[in-house]
Amino acid sequence: MDVPSFAPFASSMPQTIYVSPRSLGAPDTRPPSVDTTDLSRLFAGSPALAGVSLRIEAGRTVALLGPNGAGKTTLLRILATAIRPSYGTARVDGLDLDRDAGAVRARVSYLSHATGLYDDLTARENLEFAAVMLATPDVATRVRRALDDVGLANRADDRVREFSAGMRKRLAMGRILLGNASLVLLDEPYAALDADGMSLVDQLLSAWHEVGVSVVIASHTTDRLDQYLDGRVTLGRGLVATVSGDGVNSTQPSLIRNARRPAAQPIR
Amino acid sequence: MSAPIIEARIALAIARKDAVAELRGRHATVSTLFFAAIVLLLFGFALGPDSARLADAAPGLLWLAVVFAGVLAVNRLHLLETDDGALEQLALYPVPRRAIYAGKALGGVAVMLVLGLVVLGAVGVLFAVDIGSAWAPLLATVVLGAIGIGAVGTFYAAVTVRLRAREVMLPLLMLPVLAPLLLGAVKATAAALAGDPFGELGAWLQLLAAFDVIMIVAGAATYGYLLEDG
Amino acid sequence: MKTRVLGLVAFLTVATTTVIGLLVVPADLNQGDAQRIMYPHVASAWLAYLSFGVTAVAGIGWLWKRDLRMDSVALAGAEIGVMFTFFAIWGGMMWGRPIWGVFWQWEDPRLTTTALLLALYVGYLLLRRLTDDPERRATRAAIVGVVAAVDIPIVHFSVEWWRGLHQTATIASPDRVLDPAAPGIFVLTLLGTVGAFTLTWGYLMIRRYQLAQLSLAREETARLDLLMSVRSAEVAR
Repeated sequence: MDVPSFAPFASSMPQTIYVSPRSLGAPDTRPPSVDTTDLSRLFAGSPALAGVSLRIEAGRTVALLGPNGAGKTTLLRILATAIRPSYGTARVDGLDLDRDAGAVRARVSYLSHATGLYDDLTARENLEFAAVMLATPDVATRVRRALDDVGLANRADDRVREFSAGMRKRLAMGRILLGNASLVLLDEPYAALDADGMSLVDQLLSAWHEVGVSVVIASHTTDRLDQYLDGRVTLGRGLVATVSGDGVNSTQPSLIRNARRPAAQPIR
Repeated sequence: MSAPIIEARIALAIARKDAVAELRGRHATVSTLFFAAIVLLLFGFALGPDSARLADAAPGLLWLAVVFAGVLAVNRLHLLETDDGALEQLALYPVPRRAIYAGKALGGVAVMLVLGLVVLGAVGVLFAVDIGSAWAPLLATVVLGAIGIGAVGTFYAAVTVRLRAREVMLPLLMLPVLAPLLLGAVKATAAALAGDPFGELGAWLQLLAAFDVIMIVAGAATYGYLLEDG
Repeated sequence: MKTRVLGLVAFLTVATTTVIGLLVVPADLNQGDAQRIMYPHVASAWLAYLSFGVTAVAGIGWLWKRDLRMDSVALAGAEIGVMFTFFAIWGGMMWGRPIWGVFWQWEDPRLTTTALLLALYVGYLLLRRLTDDPERRATRAAIVGVVAAVDIPIVHFSVEWWRGLHQTATIASPDRVLDPAAPGIFVLTLLGTVGAFTLTWGYLMIRRYQLAQLSLAREETARLDLLMSVRSAEVAR
């Protein structure tokens, strides 16, 4: 679905962004995009997440706020299935992270601090590889479109090794455009970006909101984000401190001393 | 597109990506080859200068050099995924784990194949062994050996990827498991070079093939568990 | 309580069979007293392999059921197993020296396979030591254990072929005493020793498993304590 540009300063930016046309249905008919219960994660004995019970309804754009070490990145990584929780459970789009991790991966896109790009490959090659991994149809066309949309068409055949941090981030966003996600997780999306790069993020946020993709953004501040947000969640010391806005709910972590470990894992 | 074809596409894409990145950036293959050559030279110093003795020992020296260089090569291949969190990203794609294993293993096998063939040639030259006369069974041995080392190496590289002391743990885990492959490959090579006087060549090649199949199946079945972080 | 009884019985049977093996049973006609090593050697070897099988199967159990108790069983199997493997190799060498004239015989498939078993065990235990998180440790160990277990039969066959194709009549096989024509007293003593050792193995396995579980429980309590204190502190705000 093409979306009108919301970025008046986007000089080198394209006017429309191709966000994959997964037909998601009306938000009210869909299960919550994020539904966690007492989600906890310890690293070397210290709790990064101490018991997060959070629900984010479908189609919402929500900011995950809090100081460094509050657990924002850990929460995103668990939802992306990059790491597993120590205790508690979580569902994405109604799918259990433990039992249905494969299905969850097909619906979630994650932009982390690390870009996961291969230095020795060109921008185009990186995206082509990603397209095969993501089972994107019409690989050549979609890759070309994605490169256009993120403003890297003129550097498509240069190796990523030569790219600046901002350009790598844009390429990583291009990779997300190749996917078919219903939940997008962004970890500090504006970091290391110039004005054009930040406009790109803005455009993506509008585009995703328009088609009903849920977005969770970890960030220090909300200045630039405010206009796109449906809700806000603030984490502190591994727990939810406050929630506000539409479509976001949280409950107190359980104080009963039998924190449940994730369920048994089938062979996949 | 049926499932096996999709998996094959994915595996090939991974292997191709590795090949391109390797050719362009790392030159790990070249340095591994040089390492193998140096090992052979040292063998010559250690066991020579009696050329008869060296020729006798040639099959063993060949495969020892290949296995040791192979440990290095496998190590380097998995380093390809340390580019800015590439391995974590790879694990996040909605693709069957088997296919990822197959793709990485293909790369490993390809490198081992090149290594094996080059070392074979080097041994022929350095230890005065006539490889031309038995090139077919020798080729078969190198192919089967390369598959085995590649498959096992890829597997253990994934086991040790985030481990402390991984430079030591990779060979420590890999080499005992490779013992039967080493035995079979050396015996097959020796038999081939001698003209197979006892008719044992077929049996050794079968052993190698069985080893390869078993290890590939084991690796493919368990690779998924290795990609999950804790 | 039952375990203590097991331990006592094991101790008594080992003592008994040791006495029988050393003093009561007659020495072999050809090998002399050296042959007596066979009894504990064979028993140790059997337990070395049994332990590895237990470790491998328990590892699969962990991967399938995600129950850390399985991993404790695997750990117990590996530690007890490495001990018996060491005994088996030591016994094999001590037995081999008077019989073969050398401590080590490459063409004896059992000796070389058991040596490799030791290498695999050591790798397994080192791997365990290098991972702190219990679940990652269990997963890595299980996978390595399974592949190693699958490798053992291949090793055995390959060494057998290695020997078989190089017929050297000079190898006096130490286990002639195991052939069916051997006098019953030898077989009985052997079976008795194996049984006694197996009881000991069982006792050690149970104890090691219990230790592992206690250790896990202690870790778990520490983690839960921490979580609960963080949660309570926040709720109290």
